Amino acid sequence: MSLRIWEGKSAGGGSDAPEMTRRSFLRTSTAVVGGMTAIAAALSPLKDLNPSEEFSLEQFIQKHYKEMTPRDMEIALDRIRREVELRYRVRPEIRDVRAKAGVEFVYALNLSRCIGCRRCVHACVNENNQSRSPEIQYIRVLEMPRGTMDMEKGDHHYDRPTVPDASHFYMPVQCHQCANPPCVKVCPVEATWQDADGITVIDYDWCIGCRYCEAACPYWARRFNFTKPEVPADRVNPDMSYLSNRPRPKGVVEKCHFCLHRTREGRLPACLEACPTGARKFGNVLDPESEVSQILKHKRVFVLKEEVGTLPRFFYYFDERYPNSIDPEAKQIALSLGYEGGADGMFGASRGGGVA
Amino acid sequence: MTLDSKGRAMAIWLVGPVFLGVAAWLATSSTSAPIPLRPASDVPRESIRPGAWRTPLKHANEAKVNGAVRPCSECHRLFGTPPEENRTLIQHKDIVLAHGINKRCLNCHYGADRDKLVLHDGTLIDFNETPRLCSNCHGTVYRDWQMGVHGKTMGSWDASSGTQQRLACNECHDPHAPRYKPLEPLPGPETLRMGDQRREEEPSKQHAPLRRWSMPSHDEPSKEEPKKENPS
Repeated sequence: MSLRIWEGKSAGGGSDAPEMTRRSFLRTSTAVVGGMTAIAAALSPLKDLNPSEEFSLEQFIQKHYKEMTPRDMEIALDRIRREVELRYRVRPEIRDVRAKAGVEFVYALNLSRCIGCRRCVHACVNENNQSRSPEIQYIRVLEMPRGTMDMEKGDHHYDRPTVPDASHFYMPVQCHQCANPPCVKVCPVEATWQDADGITVIDYDWCIGCRYCEAACPYWARRFNFTKPEVPADRVNPDMSYLSNRPRPKGVVEKCHFCLHRTREGRLPACLEACPTGARKFGNVLDPESEVSQILKHKRVFVLKEEVGTLPRFFYYFDERYPNSIDPEAKQIALSLGYEGGADGMFGASRGGGVA
Repeated sequence: MTLDSKGRAMAIWLVGPVFLGVAAWLATSSTSAPIPLRPASDVPRESIRPGAWRTPLKHANEAKVNGAVRPCSECHRLFGTPPEENRTLIQHKDIVLAHGINKRCLNCHYGADRDKLVLHDGTLIDFNETPRLCSNCHGTVYRDWQMGVHGKTMGSWDASSGTQQRLACNECHDPHAPRYKPLEPLPGPETLRMGDQRREEEPSKQHAPLRRWSMPSHDEPSKEEPKKENPS
C-alpha cells in the first residue's frame, strides 16, 4: 500500500496532470512545510559552529599529506597559522619537518631510575598543545608492584605525597613507534603512516575519527579528541609542525610522535628534557656511538608485549645492582621508610638503584 | 493491510503534523549535553622546567657563605679544617653530609688549597670537573655516564652537532647527599578513556568523567564494566 499525497487521476497512470483540489493543496503544503522545518531543525546544531574556525574550503579541498606539493603545503600552513592566531592570539612558528636520511629514532627508558614523578607527562602536555579539558596525555606512568610484569596490576592513578614508593616500580608507557605498527594497518584512509625515521605520524586533516587505530594499539598509546581540545592561550606552544603539535580539531586521533618538530631538527624530546633523574634516553640507533646504541649494546633491554610482534622502538632497561646492602646510608634510609629488614630486604627485592 | 479511502486521507493528513512535531523536538532538544569536566588546569611551568635538576657550584669563587659570594680560599686561608668526621659545622650549616661511608670533608676537598678538589692519587682538579672525582669510587656508574647510559643529556641527541651537553654528576646529585630525595608527583590523569582500574574498591566514577556524566546517580555500574576499561 502506498500513501499518496496527490489525489486524483495520477494513480491510474498516464500523462494527465493530477487534479489539484483545495484539500490536496493544503495537505501537501503542510507535509512539505513540516518536512522542510524538520530538516532545518535537524541541521540547526550547525549554527553553533563558527565558520571561520571550524570549516574552510581550503581545508576541504586539501590533499593527503603525501600528495601535497610544496605550494599546497604552504597554503595549508598559512591556513593553520591564521586559525591559530584567530583562536589563541599567538603567531605560531609552524613548519613541515620531514624525516632526515640515515636516522632511525629509538627511545630507551631506565626503569631503575624512574621515580614516577610525572614530570614527563606534563612537559609533554605543555610541549604538544594537548587538551587540558578534557585532559589528553600521551604518557601514562604505571605504578607496578615489585616483582611482577603483569600490566593488569599497574595503576596510573596513584596519588602519594611523595614518590617513589619503596614497594613499587614505575613504568611510563607512551607510543612505542613500532616497526610493525598495527595502528597503521587498520587505518582505512591512510591518515597515519610510518615515516622513514621510524616515527608513526598522523595527518590530523585526513583523520576521519573512526578510532580503529586506537583499538588496534596494544600499548593504549592513542588518544581521541572527544571534544574540541581546550588549551589556555597563554600556554600554547608556538613552536609547531604540521605532523606533530599543531592544534588538533575535534574528532581526530593523536599520540606521541617523539616530539618530531624538535627531534628532526636535532633537539631532544620534551619529556626527556624535563625528567629529573635522567631515566629517559633518546637517539639515532643507526649511529653506533649514540647513547641508545650503547644502551642496546651494554644494558639488559626489553620491550613491552614482545609477543604481539609489534617490534617497538621503545626499550626499557635497568641497571645492574649496586651494592646497597653494604651501604649504611641505604640501610638507614630503608629503616627510616619503615621497611623491614633494612637495605637487604628493600633492595634485594627486585630493583637495583640507590648509590649513584 | 488496506485502508479505506477515508482512513488513507486521515493518514496523509498526519504527515505534516508529524514532521512539525519532529521539527519541534529537534529544535528544542539539547544538541550538546554538558559534560562535567574538570576545568582546565596546568602545572606551574617551574615544575616541568627542562635541564639540570640542580645548579651546582661550578667554580670555587662562587661559594656562598652567609649571603656573601666569595672564593673558598678567602676564608680558608685563615680557617683550617679539622679532619675528624661528624664534626658539628660552625659554617656551611646548610650542608648535610649523607654520602654513605664517605664522611670526611678532605676526602674530596683539598686542605691546602680550598679552591681545588683532590683525587685519590693527589691530582688537584677544579670544581667543574666533578665527574673525575666521583669516578674514584663510582667506577661502574662513571663508565655508564661516559657512554651516555647513566645521567642526563641535554641539547641534542646528535653528538656530532656540537650542541650536545652531558650533565655532570653534581648537576643532578648533591655531592654531600647524593641520594635522590623523594619528590612530590604531579597530578595524575583524568582523561576520558582512562577509567579507574582499582576495581576492588567501589567502582569509582572519580576518574571517568564520561561515565560519571552518562550514569544516573542512583544507578550503580555493573561489576563487569570497569574490566572493559582495562588498558592492556
